[in-house]
Amino acid sequence: MTGRAALTGSMRKEVCALFIDMHVHPAFFEPINEDPVREEMRHNVLNIHRNGTAPLEHVFHQMDCAGLDRLCLLPQDYTTQTGTAVVTNEEIKKLVDLASGRFIGFASVDPFLDGAAQRLEHAFADLGLRGLKLHPSRQHFYPSDPRLAPVYDICERYGRPIVFHSGLSWEPDTLSKYSRPIEFEELAYKRPKLRLCLAHFGWPWVRETAMLLVKYPNLYADTGALYFDSAREFYKRLFTEEIPLTWLDRSLRHQVMFGSNNPRFEQIRMAEAIGRLGLRDSTLDLIRGGNAVEFLGGSV
Amino acid sequence: MTVKTMSFQVLTERYNQFVLITDRVERAVAESGVKDGMVTVLSMHTTTGIAVNESLECLESDLEQFLARLVPEDRPYAHARMLKDYGSTAGNPTGHLKSHITGNHCHFFIENGKMVRGGAQDIYFCEFDGPSQRTIRVQIVG
Repeated sequence: MTGRAALTGSMRKEVCALFIDMHVHPAFFEPINEDPVREEMRHNVLNIHRNGTAPLEHVFHQMDCAGLDRLCLLPQDYTTQTGTAVVTNEEIKKLVDLASGRFIGFASVDPFLDGAAQRLEHAFADLGLRGLKLHPSRQHFYPSDPRLAPVYDICERYGRPIVFHSGLSWEPDTLSKYSRPIEFEELAYKRPKLRLCLAHFGWPWVRETAMLLVKYPNLYADTGALYFDSAREFYKRLFTEEIPLTWLDRSLRHQVMFGSNNPRFEQIRMAEAIGRLGLRDSTLDLIRGGNAVEFLGGSV
Repeated sequence: MTVKTMSFQVLTERYNQFVLITDRVERAVAESGVKDGMVTVLSMHTTTGIAVNESLECLESDLEQFLARLVPEDRPYAHARMLKDYGSTAGNPTGHLKSHITGNHCHFFIENGKMVRGGAQDIYFCEFDGPSQRTIRVQIVG
């Protein structure tokens, strides 16, 4: 029996009312872009250009248009590769504190720096961050790399989940081989209590992701994939052709979370498109929010 | 000849939105000190428009519906693709097309230090890919 079965009926009802975007990168949110040098660094390191910075008022307008209640903010610490963290855990904490409960903050660490596990523990224990974001393709490690064990141990000890980049990345200096879904099987197998999310549904290895989800209940996936076409077209292709909609609606309904990968992809249009697939209302509620609450440990 | 240029920003709240900016343009004209000449109002974006029309809720609704019929969301637009220069997805072809139809600027005469407009004329900033932070440029020549 998985942890999700422990939710009571009343909690489930409350959970389902929320719409959560589990994959948002706040690198260009205005309150953490007072330094133009850091902003320029972020454009270059993330390969996102011509987008400017977003005042929080604009972010809230965007959430309202998409119907979103919460955003999960994911930082990136690529110090080994780029010399600095793109977004620090402290910046995530600052944004969370400014948003009156509308943001859920995750941590990031560079697993190859001395003291990575201690920094992660500080992020969980002192900054109150709710999970960890790692990018194997950018940070150049396989998920089963034993050097990651101290970081995974901290996540297990604190009961905090990990969002892993999986599949194609548009960031520079990324190698897809490190984040192919099958590479996560050993970790999911060896640490069944650790909740893991394969971001972007592992695209293009979508069936591989589905195989892992149906096999491992501690695995989740998010819907942050929009690599071709419009949101409506790509979601239709992804969830009705590459895998049948019935897989999502029947077997995987408790393990898929809405994520947009904003600002690279189209948050408002993706939020609209997920509702047009033809899923049962109860499945849609799970994907929009219920599964995210479970992934986060039972509360937001 | 005097040329005065200024800009102001609008933070739109909706995907499609008509924002009245007549007052801000008239204020710019008054502050310019130009007595006789022309004012140009220009949007700095390609998924927005500048329009002159009567400021009525019913007309705003009709205009929005009219543009939505001409440019429906559910069409196979070529612009819906990954843009490598941006590193992001272009999901806003309808915004570009509505902008193309609407136009991106308007002009008014200035006489005796005031912008001359017809009794039913107001200036709208038209958002077609919101919400967003937008910049409008105003140039007064006289």
